[in-house]
Amino acid sequence: MFVNMAFNLIKQSGGIAIKKAISSSPSKGLFTAAVRSSKETRGLEKVYEKNEPVLLETDNVIGKTPLMAVQNYIEVADKVDISSLTGVPEEHVKSRLVKISKATKNVMQSGTDNTHNWVMEFDNRERWENPLMGWTSTGDPLSNMKIEFIERADAINFCEKNGWKWYLEAEHKTKPRPKSYAINFSWNKRTRASTK
Amino acid sequence: MVEKEDQFSFTSINLKKAKGFMKMYPKGKESGAVMQLLYLVQEQVGWIPELAMRYVADLLNVPHMRVYEVANFYTMYNMNPVGKYLIQVCRTTPCWLCNSEEILDAFKKRLGIDIGETTKDNLFTLTEVECLGTCVNAPVVQINNDFYENLTPEKVEDIITKLSNE
Amino acid sequence: MFRTTLQRTAPSIRLVVTSGQSRPNSNVPPSKLEVFIDDKKVHVDPGTTVLQAAALVGVEIPRFCYHERLAVAGNCRMCLVEVERSPKPVAACAMPVMNGWKIKTNSELTRKAREGVMEFLLMNHPLDCPICDQGGECDLQDQSMAFGSDRSRFVDIDFSGKRAVEDKDIGPLVKTVMTRCIHCTRCIRFASEVAGVDDLGTTGRGSDMQVGTYIEKMFLSELSGNVIDLCPVGALTSKPYSFTARPWETRKTDSVDVLDALGSNIVVSTRAGDVMRILPRLNEDINEEWLSDKSRFSYDGLKRQRLITPLVKDNKGNLVPVEWEDALVTTSRALINANGNIVGVSGGLSDAESMIALKDLLNRLGSEELYTEEPFPISGSGTDLRSSYLLNSSIAGLEQADLVLLIGTNPRYEAPLLNTRIRKAYVHNDLEIALLGSKVDLSYDYEYLGESPATLKDLAEKRHAFFSKLSKAKRPVIILGAQQFERQDGAVLLAQAQQLSQELSKNVDKGWKILNVLQQVAGQVAALDLGYKPNLRLSAPKVLYLLGADNEAILKNKPAGTTVIYQGHHGDAGAAIADIVLPGAAYTEKQATYVNTEGRAQQTLMAVQPPGMARSDWKIIRAISEFVGVKLPYDTLNEVRDRLTDVCPSMTRYGDLEQANFLAQASDLAKDLSFKSVSTPLNVKQIALEDFYMTDSISRSSPTMAKCIQAVRKQKESKYYESRI
Repeated sequence: MFVNMAFNLIKQSGGIAIKKAISSSPSKGLFTAAVRSSKETRGLEKVYEKNEPVLLETDNVIGKTPLMAVQNYIEVADKVDISSLTGVPEEHVKSRLVKISKATKNVMQSGTDNTHNWVMEFDNRERWENPLMGWTSTGDPLSNMKIEFIERADAINFCEKNGWKWYLEAEHKTKPRPKSYAINFSWNKRTRASTK
Repeated sequence: MVEKEDQFSFTSINLKKAKGFMKMYPKGKESGAVMQLLYLVQEQVGWIPELAMRYVADLLNVPHMRVYEVANFYTMYNMNPVGKYLIQVCRTTPCWLCNSEEILDAFKKRLGIDIGETTKDNLFTLTEVECLGTCVNAPVVQINNDFYENLTPEKVEDIITKLSNE
Repeated sequence: MFRTTLQRTAPSIRLVVTSGQSRPNSNVPPSKLEVFIDDKKVHVDPGTTVLQAAALVGVEIPRFCYHERLAVAGNCRMCLVEVERSPKPVAACAMPVMNGWKIKTNSELTRKAREGVMEFLLMNHPLDCPICDQGGECDLQDQSMAFGSDRSRFVDIDFSGKRAVEDKDIGPLVKTVMTRCIHCTRCIRFASEVAGVDDLGTTGRGSDMQVGTYIEKMFLSELSGNVIDLCPVGALTSKPYSFTARPWETRKTDSVDVLDALGSNIVVSTRAGDVMRILPRLNEDINEEWLSDKSRFSYDGLKRQRLITPLVKDNKGNLVPVEWEDALVTTSRALINANGNIVGVSGGLSDAESMIALKDLLNRLGSEELYTEEPFPISGSGTDLRSSYLLNSSIAGLEQADLVLLIGTNPRYEAPLLNTRIRKAYVHNDLEIALLGSKVDLSYDYEYLGESPATLKDLAEKRHAFFSKLSKAKRPVIILGAQQFERQDGAVLLAQAQQLSQELSKNVDKGWKILNVLQQVAGQVAALDLGYKPNLRLSAPKVLYLLGADNEAILKNKPAGTTVIYQGHHGDAGAAIADIVLPGAAYTEKQATYVNTEGRAQQTLMAVQPPGMARSDWKIIRAISEFVGVKLPYDTLNEVRDRLTDVCPSMTRYGDLEQANFLAQASDLAKDLSFKSVSTPLNVKQIALEDFYMTDSISRSSPTMAKCIQAVRKQKESKYYESRI
């Protein structure tokens, strides 16, 4: 049936410290840029480079992230792989592809409250209309698995941990455009509004 | 097959006047003359047909919709055909206090039409308007461009008789 | 009127800042203003509006009439916020900030203003939510919940009631229920500024104000569907989508549109395995927030004329449905017997993965004959230098241009969103445009240079009068339409255009690329990048492998004795002449790579499964390869993409624009061509709006597109139609 609804919309905050980078990632051979290992630590205000997860130093993070439940982290030497523990069937670990992107804004509305998070979604499998009630049926246990993260790095780490192949879609930034009511009344320019 | 229709154009005098109006505005901004040109149309035909609005728009080089917007905004532009005499009865407070309703009923009875309608011989159209500004001689009626003041139902009959015979 | 200074409009606002925040504050950057929004300090450029400043802080002020890409109207009044020491609340969308202002977006006054505006809007708004298509994605619903009062004071219903307005018929695409209109005038501003078609306006005034076309007229624009997105309420909704789905039951898949060469970003909304609608997605570099009508409404063509089973011609000459195994066996037998005499043709909607798979397969079978349906000159630099066939200035870069020369193209219907860019620069940046070719109605004024190719020759040799204007421009752009390459002298046109660009490149800004080629189909750039040869010339191959190729003009000359294998998703011209038909997947049904006309690689994602027995295209070819015996070395999509990266590394860097260079070298290579010009005028195929709607196999099978063509033809016979050419 459908995945436990608890998975949906779990907001995972930052605060994951990974000392050793994901250098030997399974994403080699993927069409994303390879993840670069980095010994540097970065603060919370940083510019994300494309396709690069951000590594956070524990000390910088404690006390600064909003939901800090755990104080200390265990330093893990190797890559964490919990895919055998989670109970996800192996075919859904090996053959699925995760897309990590910033939540898309609905064009029909002008609100942006739900577009600030990074969303991880799985590739679509078959869905059909159930003949009894017309509801949507699917054979894919991960069809509703859509988790939102505050930080891009968290989404990436989560996928790595679970052994899923992932790819990143860059954030679409809107350019701040100058808006002025006065240009509607400019004398000779074409921006002179002929109507409302 | 494109529908054939009658074209509208200004008479030569009106065209000259129109050009004169357009000259009043800075070069490139002649579209400011739209209201004067629409009033010229109304003077020529009595109302503003949709054809005329398009003609004015083409004359001023503005999109048709802009002229439609302006013409529809103002109540003094008649969007529907009117009779030879447009009877505008004032219905605001001073006239009302002086029995303008009686005058209105007199018109209605004599002409046999209601507000907004035109008589069958296309002579009279009856409308109700706001204050005409000559409250001292209430009740007042404006017929085309003339004011008829200090009215009584008998005077109304006289006026209509006189106008019908012209 | 002209904006008076703040001192004159609101004299009680003193520009003297309070103690503690004096202007000579070392923390404020010199050219910026310091504003406090809910006590959060932000430094903004002068001219920023209160709404934009609040957005920088993260505070979103509610609004109905304000839209980022349209002019500021300020008529809904929902964005009213309190500014300290101002007697009246201020319309945040229109008011530029002053230094030291303290803006309160959640104060008592602000909240009361919002509740008041909401109350006024809802007073005349019909109770249509259950039957309104906008329900669930309605700005009015959300903002009334968030900012409106919880109880209604409306008792008028027992007296005069609510206003009602007649519905307007503006075409087969946009459904209007004008009673729901809140007069935000977004649609009017869109029609006037972005679409260039000034047909919408407000007639009447006060309670009788109606938004519409006044006379019954169809909204004749290729971008008419965008008013559906813009309208904050359910007044303008999608007619084909009406009453079919609610937004919360649909799943949204980000994807890319392939019905034109721009690769506009879309969101495919699906429910239970059916595509319900297609909406645009924000991409500042390509389509901003707009989408053309063909891309938006052709999705019902995805259900008609579909190939869902493999078909093989039996001995009577009829195509019979067979199982996959039989079809693959027949195909492999034909390919083996061809002995290398195979020709592959890629169509306009082919994706890069299937094209590379086909190329690998045919190469392994000993054939180098892989062509694209669309033409391109092979003399000169041909397809070796990428810059010869790309839109080098990039779509977003066109905004910076100061002179555009269009040669043999009608960007309005070939690439509507490119045309909106040009129009945007025309309105905001005083761009000048000149057109050489068929006189068409672009939504802006342009200088017409005629339609003779001799003019291009004159320009290239600096003889023409217009050359002086071109040479004075700092950032000129030349856009050559790819359909001119169908002409016999297509190579000559390209060479002349290259020569002209080289001449002009001497005085332009550094790094500015002048020459652009506007492709017509989505699959062309990827095909040329992968090594497909343009200019299909059908000789007499043993096997003709059509990968979605439906161009009737070429296919009607099919030579006898050729086995034609068609792999595609719609039963169009290609499948009609085929001996073996292999059902593939359409663009909403596969995860595939498309490279747009700028050279930007993007991928479509699978939103629904291919119908029936159809499969992803590259998988079919991979299966054939196994049957034939030359197994291709990739099994998964990632491996195919690795192969793509080997051939063309930029093709898997999705979203990045890979600039092309060597423009000078391309021009040099073309210099030695023998100039055999043809004197036929430079005509374009898509001149009028009805030519726009059906240009590929998906839109040809769409009933909505057929209705559009009928409606446009009917409108042209109406007395209200004004031809603007």
